[in-house]
Amino acid sequence: MHTVLEVKDLRAGYADREILKGISFTLNADDFFAIIGPSGAGKSTLIRCVNRLVEPKSGEVIFNGKDMVKLSPAELRSERRNIGMIFQEFNLIERLSVMDNVLTGRLGYTGTVRSVLRMFTKAEIRQALVLLDRVGLGEHIDKRADRLSGGQRQRVGIARALIQNPKLLLVDEPTSSLDPKISREVMGLIREMAREFHIPVLCNIHDVDLACEFCSHVIGLQDGIKKFEGPPARLDKRALQEIYAMEVL
Amino acid sequence: MSALALGAGIDTLDARVDAIAAGRSRARKVRYTTYLLVFIVVAWTVEAIVISDTDWSRILNGSLLTTLGRFLELDWSLVPDLWEPAVETVLMATLATLAGLVLSIPVAWLGASNITPFGKVSYAVGRFLMTMSRSVHEIVWGLIFVSAVGLGALAGILAMAVRSVGFISKTIAEAIEDVDPKPLEAIRAAGGTKFQILWFAILPQIIPVFVGNMIFEWDINIRRSTILGLVGAGGLGLVLFRQMAMSNNGGIAVVILAILALIVLGEVVSYYARKAVI
Repeated sequence: MHTVLEVKDLRAGYADREILKGISFTLNADDFFAIIGPSGAGKSTLIRCVNRLVEPKSGEVIFNGKDMVKLSPAELRSERRNIGMIFQEFNLIERLSVMDNVLTGRLGYTGTVRSVLRMFTKAEIRQALVLLDRVGLGEHIDKRADRLSGGQRQRVGIARALIQNPKLLLVDEPTSSLDPKISREVMGLIREMAREFHIPVLCNIHDVDLACEFCSHVIGLQDGIKKFEGPPARLDKRALQEIYAMEVL
Repeated sequence: MSALALGAGIDTLDARVDAIAAGRSRARKVRYTTYLLVFIVVAWTVEAIVISDTDWSRILNGSLLTTLGRFLELDWSLVPDLWEPAVETVLMATLATLAGLVLSIPVAWLGASNITPFGKVSYAVGRFLMTMSRSVHEIVWGLIFVSAVGLGALAGILAMAVRSVGFISKTIAEAIEDVDPKPLEAIRAAGGTKFQILWFAILPQIIPVFVGNMIFEWDINIRRSTILGLVGAGGLGLVLFRQMAMSNNGGIAVVILAILALIVLGEVVSYYARKAVI
């Protein structure tokens, strides 16, 4: 099994406050990693350092054979096309249709003029339609995104990430805005799609039960330090107390 | 992407893709045809009322430069007499903005659909008052108030105050309509009255819009008050009007420079005021 993402001694934050204090891990093809930890542990920062929505201070993020930290702006944009992202608040463009929202996932491959004219290729429209059928929104393609329920909106987010044909999925608290039943459906859908298209996943999630149920491997963060790494089976009471120590006390 | 083509048969999928692509290209054509039509109308308008209706020979024979030249012989002797009207202009604008604000509060209350007290009736009244204030030009408001209260600064202040209501109350009403309803729910859940909801949940949310637009309107009123002098409403505008009556081109230019300086000053003040408050 080959390595897709290798993070080495990653540090981020400001001069007066360090958010990540030297994180290292390796993500292989077919892995589904959960990052758990209390609020403010640095989960969001960690995931955003991978595609450099947050600039790391030092360390290495080796993806696709390149160190993301050292890429020029143009190289970074081109590499971001290979990383799909799913967001906590879905981050859809509310006034655009479901179809247009999914097609925005192809903007990294679309020139400025064609994107202004919203001229996507037939192949892209076809792929969007297939993905929307798969996530169960085939009947809603012309609806505006703000007309959908929370679960449906996250499904649009999933389709938008997948249409990039990504080699890695970053998932940031996908279920925090959803109720428990819909949360399980959305996690199940992400896992199903990841397996089908062989995309490894790095997923922030504060819900430990969901993490153990859907993920193959767990990283526990506390205050910017990795306190635990292993399969869900090893995540016992003691490990959890270690990760959530500040909250237990 | 044949690996993705699951479920539906290929034929129906192709048909759907074609239908979507056709729909998108149709929507694009409609959009760009509209843009083209708008462009043609604009081009035709420019040709009809600007190009063919202008006396180009007059512009091209150099009289434009001669006229401009006459204004460049500045009449500096006027400057000592400008201080008082300039201060008057600023004070007029400030008072008018404050009076406009006071008048705007009830109008905004009536004209914001989510808090208007008597449903559609009071909403319509509020919106009508806003439109009336805006649809009458400040010069016309000035003429009305000059005939009502006589020549002088008061007529100008009243004219600007009434004219300001349209803009201030409209933006406040729209800010009220756009507030986040969640804090309102919290105050209501705590047993708050309608007034408490207004004061604790709505007001803090609209303060930035409110202050920003007030400063903007003040800045506009400085400009307005210079013009209102033309109808005898005091300030720099009155001096300007007198210089025009005397055909003293150099004096006109000096007054215009003074107005420009005042507006630049207003711009500077509003920049810092905005920074301090918002």
